[in-house]
This record gives sequence, C-alpha cells and structure tokens, in this order.
Amino acid sequence: MNMKDTIIALSIVGFMSLISNVVGTKHAFVDAIPGMIVLVAIAIAGIGLGKVLPGKIPAVAYVVTLGCILTFPGVPTAEFINEAVKKVGFLQLCTPILAYAGIAIGKDLDIFVTEGWRIVVVACVVFAGTYLGSAVIAQAILKAIGQI
Amino acid sequence: MLNWKLHLVVLVLVVIAEKIGNFTINLGIGKVVLLPMMYALIMGTLTCLKSVKISGEKEMKVASSLLGVTLMLLMAKYGTIIGPTLPKILAASPALILQELGNLGTVLIGIPLAVYIGLKREAIGAAHSVAREPNVAFIGERFGLDSAEGRGVMGVYICGTVIGTIFFGLMASIFATYLPLHPYALAMAAGVGSASMMTAAVGSLSALYPNMADQLAAFGAASNMLSGLDGLYMSIWLALPLSEWLYTKTYKLKYGELPPSVVEKAKEKEE
Repeated sequence: MNMKDTIIALSIVGFMSLISNVVGTKHAFVDAIPGMIVLVAIAIAGIGLGKVLPGKIPAVAYVVTLGCILTFPGVPTAEFINEAVKKVGFLQLCTPILAYAGIAIGKDLDIFVTEGWRIVVVACVVFAGTYLGSAVIAQAILKAIGQI
Repeated sequence: MLNWKLHLVVLVLVVIAEKIGNFTINLGIGKVVLLPMMYALIMGTLTCLKSVKISGEKEMKVASSLLGVTLMLLMAKYGTIIGPTLPKILAASPALILQELGNLGTVLIGIPLAVYIGLKREAIGAAHSVAREPNVAFIGERFGLDSAEGRGVMGVYICGTVIGTIFFGLMASIFATYLPLHPYALAMAAGVGSASMMTAAVGSLSALYPNMADQLAAFGAASNMLSGLDGLYMSIWLALPLSEWLYTKTYKLKYGELPPSVVEKAKEKEE
C-alpha cells in the first residue's frame, strides 16, 4: 500500500473510531478529534519510518516506539499528547478494527469453525507457557540481584 | 480503498456493538468478559455468509488490505499509554525487562503442540507469542491477517480476550500455591500485555499475600506496560524466527517432509 492510500485508510478508520468513541465512552465527538489526529500522525510517521529506514524492522515497532518517545515525561510534546489521547478509548479503537477483521476473515469462516478447537487448545498452552516461562526467569533474576 | 459499502457496514456494526456495551458474566471461579469488539467481529463475519450476502468478495478484499493499517492506529495509542509510565518501570527492577524472555516458553511448548494436533501455518501465528494487540499487528503486517498465520494469531487473541482473565487468575493461585516461585516473580510474569489478565492474576496473588499487595500491583502493572515495547521487539527478533525454525523441525517430524512453505522458498531461491 502506498503512502497516499495509507493516509486515506487511516483517515477513514480514524473517523470510524471517533464514532465508536462517542457511542462507547462519555467523551464528546469534538473532544476526541485532537487525540485522533495525533494518533493518525504517529501512525503515518511510524509507517513512513518503516519504509525509509534500513533493517527490515516492521512499522508496528516504529509506531509503538514513537508513541512512547513522544509521551515520555519531560519530552515537550508529552503533556499535550497525553491530554489529547486520553479522550480516545483503547477498547473503542479495537471495535472498528475487529469489524473490518470480521469481514476480512468471513471467507475463511468454515476453516475457523473446523480449526477452532485446535486454536483454543493452543491458546491455553500458550498462556500457561508464557506465564510459567516468565515467572521462572523473573524468579531467577530477582534472586540474583537480591530483590527477594 | 474507497469502498463505501464496506465502510457503511462497518459503521453500522460499530454503533450497534458499542451500544450493546460490555458484558461480564461471573462464573464463580472467575469472570468471562464480552466486549463490543467481539460483537463487531462476529457480526462482521456474519455479513459475509452466503445467505446474508451483505459483504461480498470485493468488500472482503478491501477489508483485509485495510487491516494492517488500521492496527497501526491502535499501536499509536498503545505507545502513548506506555510512554508516560516508562521512567517508573525502568526504575522498578531490571528483572522486568529480562523476564520478557520467558515468552519464548510459549514458542517451545506451543509450536510443537500446535503442529502435533494438526495446525499448519496457523501454528506460527498462534504460538509465537501470547497474542496481544502488538503481536496481532506484527503478524498482520508480516503475513496479513487473512493468511493462515493471521487466523492463528486472531484465534488466540480472541480466546485471550474472552477467557484470559479467568485463566490468569486461576494460574496465579495455582502456581503460587504449588510452585516454589516468589509472588513478586508471579506478579511480574503476569504482565503479558493485557491489563485484564494482569489484574486478574495480581488480584489472586494479593488475596493470598495481602501484605505485599502494593508491590505486587506495581510490578504487575510495570511489566504489563513494558511487554508492549520490549515484548514486541522480542517477537520480531527472537520469537518469530524461533517459531519458524521449530515449525519446520516439528512439521518434518510429524509428516516426514518439509512444510510446503519451506519447499516453495527453496525453489524461489534456486530460480
């Protein structure tokens, strides 16, 4: 997808998210607009960096990292951005995305139904594996540095 | 891109889903949470049914090409949630950063199991990580969410959203009771990148160790935030390559031949 299409797509989804936000949270439509513009700008910048910079790092990493840096306490943009994006709900951003996802995976619905149980089994093992793995490492390090 | 029928359908679904709002079902051992995003997902797939035919071939295509970009918006928000808390996180404990490596445990157990029970490339998406939002965005960018890998990661993402809180709440109490692990370690490990899962686990731990409640909550929250940042890089550089490697190995063990995806790649190289 080229940059122009990316910007159009982000604007459309941004608008959808604003609707989702106004229905799902107590924030007024207009109040959430600055935050949404900031988010769209961060996303565009991150996708742009992913295209320009070497190293094959996916755009998603640039977008998250950029969001972190711009809101890191003490950075001049932090206060404004914090206030603005607070009015855009995280869960409300997910709703339009998953609506598009639903339509996108619609053609594979039968596969989802037949493979559903396998995915559920894997999911449970994945959760347990992650939790146990992280806990063991955390235990070892906390012990090593004397925090426990 | 400018398929107005698609966007209109999505708009209607979003409004309906958000109007319904959250539902929490208390099962005694824990809570099942239903969120508007899930109704939107289910209604979205239903519009594609042949008998309904609201969304056709064209709409599905545009929707999947849009998905990767739409997730970036969510990731931008994610970054702005992490940023303000970073100084506190970094000051809390170096263990927080390194325990992310534990996510590789997911890959080592998850991939062989997924292949064993018959998943193909779905295994990569499903078991390369704990499948929270950044992982979904990453897989979406790399493979597309309408790919087999995409189905895998979406499946686990949805499972996590629905039963994740119960699962983590239960695991935390069981591990704390039966395993020689310190509550701090269990609190840190619970921060996998989902506020609800982390809260459930820390909640169980706090009930067992009330005098440590504040520290447990702090470690859990800090680790949870950090997961979105260093956990993502770990997925990109370690977990996905490891998943690919392990997938090829276990696939060969089960089926006695290399996976088609690897064979194709080798052919491409020859040409």
